[in-house]
Amino acid sequence: MLCQNCKRNDAGVHLKRIINGEAAEIHLCGTCAVALGIGDTAGSFSPFGGVQGGNLSHADTRRMSNKGIRCETCGFSFEDIARTGMPGCPDCYRVFAGKLRPTLVKLHGRAVFNGKGPSFADGQEASPDSLSELRERLEQAVREENFELAAVLRDEIRSLSEKEVQ
Amino acid sequence: MSQASSNTQLDAVLSTRVRLARNIDKIPFPVRLNSIEKQNVNFGICRFLSEKGCDLTLTEMSSLYPYEAISLAERHLISPEFASASEGRVLLMSQNEEISIMLCERDHLRIQCTKQGLQTQEAFEGAQIYDELLSSGFRFAFDQKLGYLNQNPKDIGTGMKASVLMHLPALSATGAMARISATASKLGFSVRGSYGDGASVKGDIFRISNTVTMGISENEALTNLKTMALQIATKERAAAEELIKDIGIRDRINRSAGIIENAVLMSSDEMMELLSWVRLGAVYGAVNADIPLINKLFVSMQPATMNVLAKRKLTENERDEIRAKTVKQIFR
Ligand SMILES: [Zn+2]
Ligand SMILES: [Zn+2]
Repeated sequence: MLCQNCKRNDAGVHLKRIINGEAAEIHLCGTCAVALGIGDTAGSFSPFGGVQGGNLSHADTRRMSNKGIRCETCGFSFEDIARTGMPGCPDCYRVFAGKLRPTLVKLHGRAVFNGKGPSFADGQEASPDSLSELRERLEQAVREENFELAAVLRDEIRSLSEKEVQ
Repeated sequence: MSQASSNTQLDAVLSTRVRLARNIDKIPFPVRLNSIEKQNVNFGICRFLSEKGCDLTLTEMSSLYPYEAISLAERHLISPEFASASEGRVLLMSQNEEISIMLCERDHLRIQCTKQGLQTQEAFEGAQIYDELLSSGFRFAFDQKLGYLNQNPKDIGTGMKASVLMHLPALSATGAMARISATASKLGFSVRGSYGDGASVKGDIFRISNTVTMGISENEALTNLKTMALQIATKERAAAEELIKDIGIRDRINRSAGIIENAVLMSSDEMMELLSWVRLGAVYGAVNADIPLINKLFVSMQPATMNVLAKRKLTENERDEIRAKTVKQIFR
């Protein structure tokens, strides 16, 4: 495969990055990669990029250090999700809802599902997160220095309290 | 020549496909299942569908020669990912090959419906029949806010990937594809070469698909995709009508036709390029050739599919010879 920048040299560097909420693959030769400053610092520049194979950014990987809750259905911890870039089962989305949220916001924005659900879900209302619940999670996010999640939660609290005033 | 008059705008469109990703709740995604657990999932789904009287052919991917699996991907009936490993994977397919259901790809279920030409709604409805039927027997993993909970966080929401396969030789020749692809991606679509790797697109055949699965309904996504495909088709037509006036391009088209008439050996890459030029010429009346047959040959003369047609693994030379002979038929 040729380098996407110079289209001349063989691309030896393959990166996955999140651009506008889209995971995009970038293939560059070593020269162009350094010239373009991809990989933030020269040192972090490995053939696997800063991210291992998935949709999770550096920030998500950093957060891996959080203590070990595991999904009962598949046994995955959040570390496993960050490592593989994928949840292990549908329940992971529920167990790690808070931690996955920044990634989902990056991929899909603030949009929520607006399609046709399965028939068993007809008539079910999405339960809105309550203000107190969100505030609790914001506090926890700040304690864990998870500022990305904190920013998301702060926005949600703001928009929800505006709605409640109306 | 008759094809030139009939709805030229849509001549760029080859086919439409809708794929729905679904998972059964409380069961780990296939990558986290061992082969017995995958077999249980597959068996449950197959038994349910046969009890419901569905007429689908079952293929265990592990029973196929590698070239047979690759051929299914060349014919767009399965994903390349599904062909890449066989353990614990089952394919269900309808007789006319419009419906194919991949079991234990990255998700438990990938329900796919393909239609000729630009038929976004029809393809969706075809897939939806099986989606609704299966959801009456299995509880799909679903969340009111996140939609369908699929393995790749990119695929949650509607879990619907709708796409249109297009032949765009004029836009490729004028170098417009990079710009179109950039614009499309801002609007929530991806544009990718269907054959060849990312670096070089073979035959100027592109797949345009939706990337937005949240915040909009399936119908909105389908309407947007259709609009996008029509706009690209209109651009292709304008570019082609200009291009065809160029004597250099007409020379290129007729030379391609000449090679097809006379070649004794033809590689798959060469065929893709020649057929692309001749198809452009045929759509806009510069040469006379069988366009529906060209559309078929793009697929049936791919290496693995040729092996399947011959029922054995051909040597490269054998393939090149059969290909050269077969491709000439577009002028008969
Ligand atoms: Zn380069
Ligand atoms: Zn899990």
